[in-house]
Amino acid sequence: MKPKIAFFDFASCEGCQLQVANLEESVIDVAEVVDVVEFREVMTNKAESYDIAFIEGSITRPIDEKRLKAIRKKTKTLVALGTCAHLGGVQRLSNQWSAKENLKEVYPDAKEKDINKNEFFEKPHHKAVDEVVKVDYVIPGCPIDRTEFIKVLVALIHGKKPPIPDYPVCVECKKKENICLFTIGKFCMGPIARAGCGAICPSHGSECEACRGYISHPHERAQIDVLEDCGLSADEIMHRKTMFTYKYVEKEKEESK
Amino acid sequence: MKVISKQDFNDFITTLINDGSLDVHGVKAKDEKFVFGELESSDDLRLDYDTTILPPKKYFMPQYETLMKCSLKSPFDIKEKKPQKPLVLIGVHPYDIIAINQMDAYYCNDDVSKSYLDRRKNTILIGSDVLNIHDKAFFGSMNTGQVENGYDLFLTDLDDKVVIEIKSKKGEDLLNKAAMVREASDVEKQKVTAIRTAAQGRAKRGMKIEPKQWYSLLDQNYTSKVWKDQSDKCLACGTCTLVCPTCFCYDVNDEIDLKGNSKRVRTWDGCLLRQFSEVAGGEVFREDIKDRYRHRFFRKGKYLPDRLGFTACVGCGRCSTQCIPDIADPVKVMNLVFDNSETFIQDEDKQPKSISLDAIEIDEDEATPLHHPFPATITKIEDLTEREKLFEIELDSGEKLGHEPGQFVEVSIMGVGEAPISIASPPKRKRFDLVIRNVGEVTNKLHEMKKGDKVGIRGPFGTGFDVDQYKGRDLLFIAAGLGLPPLRSLIAHVLDKDNRKDYGKVTILHGCKEPCEVLFDSEIGKWQEIENVNVLRTVDRCPEGECWDGDIGLITKLIPKSNFDQKNTFCMIIGPPVVYPFCIQILLDLSVPEERIIVSLERRMKCGVGKCGHCQINNLYVCKDGPVFNYKDIKDLPEAFE
Repeated sequence: MKPKIAFFDFASCEGCQLQVANLEESVIDVAEVVDVVEFREVMTNKAESYDIAFIEGSITRPIDEKRLKAIRKKTKTLVALGTCAHLGGVQRLSNQWSAKENLKEVYPDAKEKDINKNEFFEKPHHKAVDEVVKVDYVIPGCPIDRTEFIKVLVALIHGKKPPIPDYPVCVECKKKENICLFTIGKFCMGPIARAGCGAICPSHGSECEACRGYISHPHERAQIDVLEDCGLSADEIMHRKTMFTYKYVEKEKEESK
Repeated sequence: MKVISKQDFNDFITTLINDGSLDVHGVKAKDEKFVFGELESSDDLRLDYDTTILPPKKYFMPQYETLMKCSLKSPFDIKEKKPQKPLVLIGVHPYDIIAINQMDAYYCNDDVSKSYLDRRKNTILIGSDVLNIHDKAFFGSMNTGQVENGYDLFLTDLDDKVVIEIKSKKGEDLLNKAAMVREASDVEKQKVTAIRTAAQGRAKRGMKIEPKQWYSLLDQNYTSKVWKDQSDKCLACGTCTLVCPTCFCYDVNDEIDLKGNSKRVRTWDGCLLRQFSEVAGGEVFREDIKDRYRHRFFRKGKYLPDRLGFTACVGCGRCSTQCIPDIADPVKVMNLVFDNSETFIQDEDKQPKSISLDAIEIDEDEATPLHHPFPATITKIEDLTEREKLFEIELDSGEKLGHEPGQFVEVSIMGVGEAPISIASPPKRKRFDLVIRNVGEVTNKLHEMKKGDKVGIRGPFGTGFDVDQYKGRDLLFIAAGLGLPPLRSLIAHVLDKDNRKDYGKVTILHGCKEPCEVLFDSEIGKWQEIENVNVLRTVDRCPEGECWDGDIGLITKLIPKSNFDQKNTFCMIIGPPVVYPFCIQILLDLSVPEERIIVSLERRMKCGVGKCGHCQINNLYVCKDGPVFNYKDIKDLPEAFE
């Protein structure tokens, strides 16, 4: 029997699911090996249980946590799909302010009575999926890489651990013989960011912002030294460190408490 | 030497490009930098380049190379590679040619890599003098500004004409495609010499030591503070190794596609990366960045010279150019080590004899696809504990494996990968045993397999126990945890009725965490019944309700109790890394001579043939020099028992 797979979205742009919907000719091969039983972006079907659930988006409100926990109960394997699910996404930056401040900023004209005691506006605070339920595997990236999605899917079907690299983006960048951005006056997070994207941003001249998170043992101090040597201020370095990876900063703050 | 006008030279290149039977690659511009790549016209060729981003090693050992392909339905039906067109590679600088010569020595030494040799032989290599020197290059200090061999043609661009040296028949045949080639005049030859001498003289960058002094300098400075100071700034990104023309280490991974086809892919790896030395159980043998950082310099200046006789740095300057924190530069680092070295003695006696790269004789018949496994069948599976199973395996060829006790094999499952596993049975039997704990991808998959299933086998690999050396002696076996299976290959050999008379008293100490982890319980019982065999067993703890009649406590406690004759006993120790220092110390305290302590060490043995670089303990390759070592030979290696 083909494994049943399902996709679910939480706070996100749904771009990662779009990557899957846009698999083009591979879609037919994917359909040969799995049954897609739930995928709101492309179909209306619902299912009672799944073999693999792919979760996109950060987990924001109590109702989201409740929904996610229900999915976890119905699936054998749970995969966090993309940066929002993996780390909390760019929206996690809003955790720097209180829920009240954020609501006021986003909905300045909203009436208190509409927001108060409304579960859709209850305590918005962004979490990664693994901060709410057990995550078996992660497909990192903003957005995810289609080839990597297929690699992970195939690995799961064959009972293998998904091949997500634990070496830095520099490795893939060097193998592609790109001109290192640091040598032309730019700076990137490649030395400590997790590879697997094929160094797509540096390959097109854009700086890596670590959307896939860091490798498991990054030498962060050395990375900060390098950015300082490039003339970046402490604020600018913090900006580099927080774009997609505010989760690590929050964790640091918590640990230093 | 020949000469050809620039116009005729360009026409020659155009002829080669238009000749459909050749792949023509050379140096060309990539924005402000240079790379080796396919030439689309003679205008692309830039002989005035200073250096390329990646060295030409990518042609002989590509960044990603499919070693074999198959369908998962028939994993041993390996599809042959299609023959490639001959490659013409134009514009390789002398230092890069020397690096390729070193690579020849590396890949065509002992186990000759067929895929490497095929690519190398399929290439017509055209060198070029250095016309513009990169500001980080120091080939003048490494004496690699000129090269004597390893190429087919060699070019010196003199603006309006090109001087060409013919080095081989292959080169001569290629040059026959060019029109209007004439002999070089004395003046033209002098110009070539002047260009070479100037380049060699200019690309020095103030290196304070000679290449041949690297060996002694490093030998005397393993504990220099420079390693820590510099590596504090190291990103451990691997760049210095990836861009290096003399870094040859690689990893091998299996990939599966949606259609159920599998391929085994070799890709560049580097010792600066953390997972480089990580084994399936999760241990990382060079966790500290300082150790990885130092390893790179020692491999270049000491370990490869030890093994192959040359200093593996050619002064191209790529690492210095591309290291972001600027700590990879050999000129800077070797000078720092030199400046911080209190005394430095050039020790000629310790220096390995340098070899001429000319003298490498490659036995082409010996060349094999190093990573192709042989089909074998699982003939029996036995559950030993909750985590370990015994697999009995027979090669489909019907041949005996032909191993010696203590050796290992690479067990391969297409689509999943390979894992190094110690052989747990004596050489006598036709089939062999492997005891496998499910700790990684391959071993998990093996645990799902059934009798009759097929696996791939490569090997046997490594240096096992020297059974002749122990003849006439008593033997003490210290087996902790999973150390028993590899020792079983020797114990069963020694206790075999045909061999028993060759050895004296046998003492077997076996320890594990809990009674439920005991391996080969009934077999140990049988050993105990053999005359002059003493078995002592211990567990770290015995949970309530479990039966245990042996000792309780660490295995080290058994050693003094075992009453062996210190003067006449060889002691074999195998266990997890933590047991070695303690057991060895107790044996030394009991006055056992160092040379009678034998250990078997685990590292990440990926290729099994001393090429991929993962299993190195300082200068030793566990997969070739080990896994069985005499303690005396490795006691001074800092990485052996860390």
